[in-house]
Amino acid sequence: MSKLVVFLFLALIPLLPLLCNSFSPEKPSDRRVLVLLDDFAIKSSHSSFFKPLQSRGFDLDFKLADDPKISLQRYGQYLYDALILFCPTIERFGGSIDAAAILDFVDSGHDLIVAADSNASDLIREIATECGVDFDEDPAAMVVDHSGYAVSATEGDHTLIASDDFIKSDVILGSKKIEAPVLFQGIGHSLNPSNSLVLKVLSASPSAYSANPKSKLTSPPSLTGSSISLVSVVQARNDARILISGSLSMFSNRFFRSGVQKAGSPVKHEKSGNERFLTELSKWVFHERGHLKAVNVQHHKIGEADEPAIYRINDDLEYSVDVYEWSGTSWEPYVADDVQVQFYMMSPYVLKTLSTDGKGRFFTSFKVPDVYGVFQFKVEYQRLGYTSLSLSKQIPVRPFRHNEYERFIPAAYPYYGAAFSMVRISFSRIFAFVFLSLN
Amino acid sequence: MARNLAAFLVLFLALSICEAAKIFEPISDLHRSAALELLTPVDGLDASLEETYEALRVFDILAIEKKPEGSTTTCQKVLDNLESSSPPKDLFYALKVNSLLKCWVNEEVFETIASRLKATINDASTLLDIYYSIGSLVLIKDQASNVDVLLADADGTFHSIKVLSQGDGRWRYSSNNPDSSTYAAGLALEALAGVVSLAASEVDQSRINTVKNDILKLFDSIEKYDDGSFYFGEKIVSTSEHQSSLSTTASVVRGLTKFAAVFSGKLNLPGDKILGLAKFFLGIGIPGDAKDFFNQVESLAFLESNRVSIPLILSLPATVYSLTQKDQLKVRVNTVLGSAAPPLTVKLVRAFSTDAKDLAITESKELQYEPKNGLHVLDLFSKNMDVGNYVFVFEMVLKDSDSSSDFTTGGQIHVPIYITGVIKVGNAEIAVLDSDLGSIETQKALDFAGNGIVSLSANHLQKLRLSFQLTTPYGRAFKPQQAFLKLRHETKVEHVFVVESTGDKFEIILDFLGLVEKLFYLTGRYDIELTVGDSVMENSFLRPLGHVELDLPVAPEKASRPPPPPVCPYSRYGPKPEITHVFRAHEKRPPQNLSLTFLSLTLLPFIGFLVGLLRIGVNLKNFPSATVPATYASLFHIGIAAVLLLYVLFWLKLDLFTTLKTLGFLGAILLFFGHRILAHLASTSAKLKSA
Repeated sequence: MSKLVVFLFLALIPLLPLLCNSFSPEKPSDRRVLVLLDDFAIKSSHSSFFKPLQSRGFDLDFKLADDPKISLQRYGQYLYDALILFCPTIERFGGSIDAAAILDFVDSGHDLIVAADSNASDLIREIATECGVDFDEDPAAMVVDHSGYAVSATEGDHTLIASDDFIKSDVILGSKKIEAPVLFQGIGHSLNPSNSLVLKVLSASPSAYSANPKSKLTSPPSLTGSSISLVSVVQARNDARILISGSLSMFSNRFFRSGVQKAGSPVKHEKSGNERFLTELSKWVFHERGHLKAVNVQHHKIGEADEPAIYRINDDLEYSVDVYEWSGTSWEPYVADDVQVQFYMMSPYVLKTLSTDGKGRFFTSFKVPDVYGVFQFKVEYQRLGYTSLSLSKQIPVRPFRHNEYERFIPAAYPYYGAAFSMVRISFSRIFAFVFLSLN
Repeated sequence: MARNLAAFLVLFLALSICEAAKIFEPISDLHRSAALELLTPVDGLDASLEETYEALRVFDILAIEKKPEGSTTTCQKVLDNLESSSPPKDLFYALKVNSLLKCWVNEEVFETIASRLKATINDASTLLDIYYSIGSLVLIKDQASNVDVLLADADGTFHSIKVLSQGDGRWRYSSNNPDSSTYAAGLALEALAGVVSLAASEVDQSRINTVKNDILKLFDSIEKYDDGSFYFGEKIVSTSEHQSSLSTTASVVRGLTKFAAVFSGKLNLPGDKILGLAKFFLGIGIPGDAKDFFNQVESLAFLESNRVSIPLILSLPATVYSLTQKDQLKVRVNTVLGSAAPPLTVKLVRAFSTDAKDLAITESKELQYEPKNGLHVLDLFSKNMDVGNYVFVFEMVLKDSDSSSDFTTGGQIHVPIYITGVIKVGNAEIAVLDSDLGSIETQKALDFAGNGIVSLSANHLQKLRLSFQLTTPYGRAFKPQQAFLKLRHETKVEHVFVVESTGDKFEIILDFLGLVEKLFYLTGRYDIELTVGDSVMENSFLRPLGHVELDLPVAPEKASRPPPPPVCPYSRYGPKPEITHVFRAHEKRPPQNLSLTFLSLTLLPFIGFLVGLLRIGVNLKNFPSATVPATYASLFHIGIAAVLLLYVLFWLKLDLFTTLKTLGFLGAILLFFGHRILAHLASTSAKLKSA
């Protein structure tokens, strides 16, 4: 009897992942999110950030970061699609989580939001460094901006910054412009120049610097000017997305609700841009936007419908692919005019921009080069903020067959004619001569 | 070492003062609007009675005049709960909602509930059961005065709660649960307060005193944040009953204030801890969770009217003052919920600059009270209040000295004050000096107000000198935190230098000979940018000064390379330029007409030959005349014609294989007929010869 139970249990194990509604290539939005907090008070003081997430259907699981029972995976299956680290001071996670486990989580295509703060621990800094973001090493440093601070009657040290230097990308920040500046109070970071995947989403102004606001400066600060990044994102090659912010308070209800007036600007905004900025950014991070898929790759000779097994040099062909973007609920046709296809053999022989019909179909036609070998149709689509598309389809190209060359060359007609008349005449002469002489 | 230690101590003190100086704002209209936003959906139809009660209670405390929607359905729900035999918890919340909504409930209903609850109390074993039952009885007592709710055996009930208490002031939930909890302590205190108020005969004073001791012990386990706020944390994490520190602290405050209200004596708790608890609740700001919101507001309401000591909160509408506007220093003193404080005077005990802590700037002054706006104000911008960061120390003194023991003010309150002003920039000049002599080669005065820029040129043997002066509105030298000179090469390599001050003059000398290594030997144009800024400087600026053409020596091989420039994300992700394949060009051929002309020329001899043939005439007299040989001859000729036709076809379209196959077939026929006709011809010629 007990053997039967064990057998049934083992038989059901492979079905376990099916039981939970999770991230899949067909529905790339995240569903289950683990939120690690320093203190449960953050859950309520930052609820304006969490509430919209819950109302958009995310299943948030709040845990203390030092809870000994937290884990990211069980039986080799990840329990969550995304992780939010709102625990800037944590020195050691509870349970089985450590920096390596979080990086593995990201390496397997899951998303991450990290918020640091002026007292960020080495652990949080280490995770950020692995993502290509280097926080200022001085633990007391904060971003100070004496020209771009937010006017406030009670915050006089100019660490509360109103920044409006956003990345110009509709897919990351939404197509509507964010009017009000974003309030930021925390530490700055710089991007590792060798990491090509990390992007500065919110930059500091040229007059900003990162230093301890309470001490006098004797040496130049390590981070100055607009090279300071306040909020950065990473779009990894495996479609994992990471958001790193140097401020936890920018997610808080207080900053969401607060009005903002940038120093030197007469405009006073009723509400800071934090809510818009972070909502749009969270949509991007959790794959509700900017996630592409390509299907239905087709190519054929012009005038034919079927895909050939081989092309001949100088054939005219048509190539088409359907590209869709995930909108959070459905796949919508992707609209762009910069999708390119390459006809590639060790280097691209043809690189052509595809035309589109606005319904997700991208197509073009071109002539096969007069070089034979094994080619590939390649679409390497990497755009700011979008997941990358990488399609390749192998196709051989052969030269002309012997009977596919032109049979008559007009330039050679005189030779044909000369040979013909020569042969005819001399043959007839010899024939006549022999004939006549015989008779 | 000793110097380092001293510096560390100074830093530590600076930090501790600054941290102690966090200002807490009492509940304001922001809370009210947040409450409306957060709790309005809660008092709807599908909310539980507990949630409805919390929403109603918050509206009640914050004096929000809002008619809750669906109060009739809520009342119906209350009545349903009261009339059925629901568990004590539901009864408790139904009664609580009823206390606020005043639904019409029959006295008989109360009677039956009261008798049932009394029975429950007598044989209850868990703290929660007792808590809910006693809480319900207290509520019935308030709502229906005629119903008999008094406990006959109050001492026994008191004892049954008290046995669950632990040595450290915490309580257990039930006798068979060994874990003690601070949250439960709050519940127990509230229950005990209920027992005392419901007691038919006076509860023994010694019992009350032991509970007082428990409270003092409980306060020994209070925890503290750096900003002077106190809270109770829950130690047990393992059970599902885990409470956040907010709800734990709220529970203790509720129990404490209710217990302190029911007996005549006074609890001897330190006022700063009560103030610390108030600071803890205020420090949360505006919670985004309905439960947290309720806990915060209700606890503050209990603290506002508690009998231990009422905390008073000193707040400043602004801590940044501008010298150009000559504002008055304004201080507001409120209770935690934002209502007016009792008559008191606010004193500015002393004020000192954060740079020089020992030097008091003002003597002790008393602030003027302005009754019309409830503010205490002081004109303080005198000659010695220059721009800078200050710490003001305030003290509150209650006018009525009898009531001073009812209130807690927290002693001296340190508040950081920023006084800002416009800093004058003067005597700015930039010069290129010759290194060895120090003689000035070119010198230019700068005007930071205008837009003029300078263009200079220098080589590695020269120096660049920039100097300027900063003075405060009162003519003193001013040292900003940020005084950076930035050199930016054409290739976007940046170098930042801190401009140091000597006396009242800021001067930086860039000796290019010593800097060539740092500048990576990059010759070319450098843009010069000056940034001056400070938190108290209203005219902080970032200004391009111009550029300098630097002529530096060629880099030696071992010199370090400049760092790679940051990659521009927009260009990296743009579309690539299109590539079209260049096809191999066809060989050059003569025009077709030329070929055709020469074709006709080559065919001319053939045509001449044909014409010649026609002139000669065809001789067919040897063609056999007999039927059989004639057939052979014509078939032979047809065969030759077929082969010739095959050659034409081969020429036009056929390939070699088809041609050879057909040729084999035709050749065989030709051979046969050729043989025949030749045999015939041979026999005729033999006949002719023999004849």
